[in-house]
Amino acid sequence: MADAKPAPKIWVQSNDSAIIELDRQVAERSVLIKNLIEDIGDEGITAQNPIPIPNVNEAVLRKVVEWCEHHRNDPPQTQDDDNDARKKTTEIEEWDQKFMQVDQEMLFEIILASNYLDIKPLLDVGCKTVANMIKGKSPEEIRKTFNITNDFTPEEEEQIRRENEWAEDR
Amino acid sequence: MSANTRGAPQMPPAPNKEDAVATWNYLEAGIDRVMLHLEHGIDMHTYMGVYTAVHDFCTSQKAVGLGMSSGASIGSGNHRGAHLLGEELYRKLSDYLTKHLHQVLQEARTHSNEALLAFYIKEWNRYTNAAKYIHHLFRYLNRHWVKREMDEGKRNIYDVYTLHLVQWREELFKNISDKVMDAVLMLVEKQRNGETIDHSQIKQVVESYVSLGLDESDPTRSTLDIYRYHFENPFLAATAKYYENESKQFFTENSVVEYMKKAETRLDEEKDRVDMFLHPDILHALQKTCEKVLISDHATLLRDEFQVLLENDREQDMARMYGLLQRIPEGLEPLRQRFETHVRKAGLNAIEKVASENPEKLEPKIYVDALLEVHTQYSGLVTRAFREEAEFTRSLDNACKEFVNRNEICKSGSNKSPELLAKYTDVLLRKSSTGIEEAELEGTLARIMIVFKYIEDKDVFQKFYSRMLARRLVHSNSSSDDAETSMISKLKEACGFEYTNKLQRMFQDMQISKDLNNSYREHCDSLESNKAILDSQYSILGTGFWPLQAPNTNFSPPGEINEEIERFTRFYKNKHEGRKLTWLWQLCKGELKAGYCKSSKMPYTFQVSMYQMAILLLFNEKDVHSYDDIAAATLLSQEVLDQALAILVKAKILLVSPEGKPESGSELRLNFDFKSKKIRVNLNLGGAKESKQEEVETNKTIEEDRKLLIQSAIVRIMKARKQMKHMQLVSETINQIKARFVPKVPDIKKCIEILLDKEYLERLEDDDLGYLA
Repeated sequence: MADAKPAPKIWVQSNDSAIIELDRQVAERSVLIKNLIEDIGDEGITAQNPIPIPNVNEAVLRKVVEWCEHHRNDPPQTQDDDNDARKKTTEIEEWDQKFMQVDQEMLFEIILASNYLDIKPLLDVGCKTVANMIKGKSPEEIRKTFNITNDFTPEEEEQIRRENEWAEDR
Repeated sequence: MSANTRGAPQMPPAPNKEDAVATWNYLEAGIDRVMLHLEHGIDMHTYMGVYTAVHDFCTSQKAVGLGMSSGASIGSGNHRGAHLLGEELYRKLSDYLTKHLHQVLQEARTHSNEALLAFYIKEWNRYTNAAKYIHHLFRYLNRHWVKREMDEGKRNIYDVYTLHLVQWREELFKNISDKVMDAVLMLVEKQRNGETIDHSQIKQVVESYVSLGLDESDPTRSTLDIYRYHFENPFLAATAKYYENESKQFFTENSVVEYMKKAETRLDEEKDRVDMFLHPDILHALQKTCEKVLISDHATLLRDEFQVLLENDREQDMARMYGLLQRIPEGLEPLRQRFETHVRKAGLNAIEKVASENPEKLEPKIYVDALLEVHTQYSGLVTRAFREEAEFTRSLDNACKEFVNRNEICKSGSNKSPELLAKYTDVLLRKSSTGIEEAELEGTLARIMIVFKYIEDKDVFQKFYSRMLARRLVHSNSSSDDAETSMISKLKEACGFEYTNKLQRMFQDMQISKDLNNSYREHCDSLESNKAILDSQYSILGTGFWPLQAPNTNFSPPGEINEEIERFTRFYKNKHEGRKLTWLWQLCKGELKAGYCKSSKMPYTFQVSMYQMAILLLFNEKDVHSYDDIAAATLLSQEVLDQALAILVKAKILLVSPEGKPESGSELRLNFDFKSKKIRVNLNLGGAKESKQEEVETNKTIEEDRKLLIQSAIVRIMKARKQMKHMQLVSETINQIKARFVPKVPDIKKCIEILLDKEYLERLEDDDLGYLA
């Protein structure tokens, strides 16, 4: 039934001028793009006049598009679905886990881009991935993992530890 | 994009994200474009530019710490101290809207009435349309800063779209809503006066007012408060005032009936108005308002008119009045009372009329038809004008019950109605020359049941009915078994099995007798030697079920009959040992062939009673008998004998000498010159007198039977309850019995005394009665 009409296309342009063609359905995983098309129509969007995405470079944008392609048929996210069970778990489905096996730099770029483009499920997957990287680690290990210099004085550190004693795993 | 943005100001260059002033300048240019020039469209560079500027500004500032692209920022980001940026943008946007709306307000003040209405709608549409865009463009602010503020329970922070509505309400709406409303009301008044208006404008105003109803405690929900206060209330007030004036005016110039038509139309119009351009929420309140000023305020006038309508059979107008008054609380009760009184009067008048037209003897049919006519007329009215409403049906029933049981004819006692009804039923079910069609008969019986339903003394009906049924069955002159069964089942349906039990048994007896006669015939045929000379039929009637009594005279049946009877008795006793047969001679009849008459070649056939037969058969021996001989031979009492002879003498079958009434000392001679036009001569004519007597007897037994019925009801109740207060028992007894007749309290008390004497009951302490097994 889907092959009756070719899927409508959309073009986006990364901040380093790469133009990417994708199905409108895929593009609309981004609420930003979805609203834009809704507001001003898709007649003006062509390969010559793509939607500018000033905050995302080609590499990241392609990665995001890849995710959207894979999740094109997911149920559309509802506005602010805070009670979604998705949030309550750090489990990540297998394909997304593989998808997120990228270097830290790329991981954070994906998170920022999905935040910017308003793709909540992708943002969640990214954040969960980071959360999993932190889980079970000592502060020192975390600093190491994310290359953070400890700028607390020992006194400060002691105070923070006391304040957060209740959260200690015992 | 160039084609789309004609006429719109150029966008400044994209701002540095750190620079709040530059960012706002850029955003303001974008918002201006959306607010003021949306008709030119917005190109996607601007769209993306504004969105990105908001995003960048909210993610840029130093408080978040290190540059976003550096992975190191995440570690400290979830500390409580981190605040999301955006407040500044939010305030700026809010201020922008305030300023913008001030301008709109200035312009609005230059308009009034319809122009203001048009302006309001135009501005509202433009503004809310733009608000939707800006809401999208500021989505990043919504998602983060606004969300956080709201999650933390900050009041007066709304998502961007709602912020637009709130600002509209505060800055514009509050200042001009009254004037807008005035314009709306003026327009509606024009429409009510019959002018055509553009009601889509009002519809849009309604929608706008409804949109502004924001629930302060929960911004995701909306309330109708604003709409109710600023639209609904003034609208209802104006409506009430309009119709108050109109109806006052209308009444001075028109009749009540005309007014009802007007009110009906107005109510329909107001309902249509809701569908056309008002919020459905107003429907109930608007109807209530209209009903009050159009109906309740004039209810007394309307009701006074009802009597006039009733008297003139103005069915449609009554239907109209019903339709109006049923809308208001307690609107119909006075009508029902008047209706009930009216029907009762109509019934009483109808009966008075037939009573005065037939002062001598009232035919049951005329009486019942008169009752039915009134019922038919008013039940028709209930159906057609009062929508068969249960309460009106009840009023009708009450009225019918009154005039059926208490009217001119029933003055002597309420027995008269059931008696006449039973008699009419008898006329219908008796074989007659008029020959009513089967279907028609069924219909008439159904109508009988309508009256029956209203009869209070159902036991009286039962008495008469069973006597007349007995007569029909014994004399086999019932018009059809089907009709009889149908009537009995109707009664059963109305009053239960017990009521018709005896009637059904009587019916059964006749069936059994038929079979019995057949087997008797076979029995006789087998007795070849003694060929039966009489063609006889017997009915065996169970004593308890038939309202019949043994003959009140001695009787010696003639030899011819006696022989036959003894044969049958032997046959019957053989079949059913121990049963006692009592011969009801007064009900027996037979036919005689008279071959002695000179005037006719064909022998006459005389249809005679058993007593007459016994007398006539004596003349087989000699032609002359003395009165006293006959009395001695038949053993009949004088009264019965005189009655039987009188008919024979009157028909000139017997001649008396000396002439006059046959009495002791007279002689009776067979008249050989007897002449008749008919070959069959019916001499069994005791009828009229007999039934008169029966009537008196029936009425006599009713009181006795009622006592028994009351007593058995009391015993039944006490057996179930064991112990009961006196008062309670009385009312419970009335409850149980009232389906049959309406018992009088003193009668019940008397019956309780009787049962106490008979030791079925005992007196306990405290007015309690106990049951003694």
